[in-house]
Amino acid sequence: MKIKERIRDGVVILELHGKLMGGADAATFNDTLKTLLHEDHKNVLVDLSRINWVNSTGLGILISGYSTVKKSGGDLKLLHVSDRIESIFMVSKLHTVFVSFADEEEAVNSFA
Amino acid sequence: MTGPTQQSQRIELKIPSQYLYLGVPDAILMELAGDMPCEQKDIDEISTSVIEACTNAMEHGNGMDEHRFVEIYFDIAPDQIAITVLDTGPGFDHEQWCPPEDILRERGRGITIMREFSDDLSFDFAADGRFRVRLRKHLQRQD
Repeated sequence: MKIKERIRDGVVILELHGKLMGGADAATFNDTLKTLLHEDHKNVLVDLSRINWVNSTGLGILISGYSTVKKSGGDLKLLHVSDRIESIFMVSKLHTVFVSFADEEEAVNSFA
Repeated sequence: MTGPTQQSQRIELKIPSQYLYLGVPDAILMELAGDMPCEQKDIDEISTSVIEACTNAMEHGNGMDEHRFVEIYFDIAPDQIAITVLDTGPGFDHEQWCPPEDILRERGRGITIMREFSDDLSFDFAADGRFRVRLRKHLQRQD
């Protein structure tokens, strides 16, 4: 998995590319979040539009990231969740944890 | 759960226990999906299930040892896909397993996902002693 980072109106948008499945992905994602939090960027929007699929280990990476950001007083939300990934959130009940958006502007404004 | 039917055709795959290869079963199913008269949702769900079965096989069965392999059989029929996943681990007590309650837990969702996205799911040991997961998905015809 690769991560592209950009900032819009004070919100860090992390574009994840590839598959979210464990192994090196966990360190890549956690290290990125820790660096952002260290730089006092606490509002994080994770764009999943370029993620082909997620497995349960990948879900754990997202949850770990969510918990880390929340403990630091910030928030982590999701953008462009595909139908396939949304169905995994539904059966694992994670739709009750993650707030997700289909529109980037709406998502960014939600942090205000 | 029964094995392949007379109408089915089998694809066999053997992958090292490395996350890198988890996308291969998905790629096979997505390639087949283009030529099968069924709902994409059915293929997505069985593919998600097999990715989970392979993840468990690699992590818990083979201990992420790249020299230990996960073997996958796809039995493809016009009305269903049956998939067998084999690893060399000790298996687990699936009858006693229940999902942890903590919603923010970082592990323990794989079996739930397999159960929800498969029409049949079973765990046992193959004749050669390998741990075996069998999944089946009935395909809804799309005309």
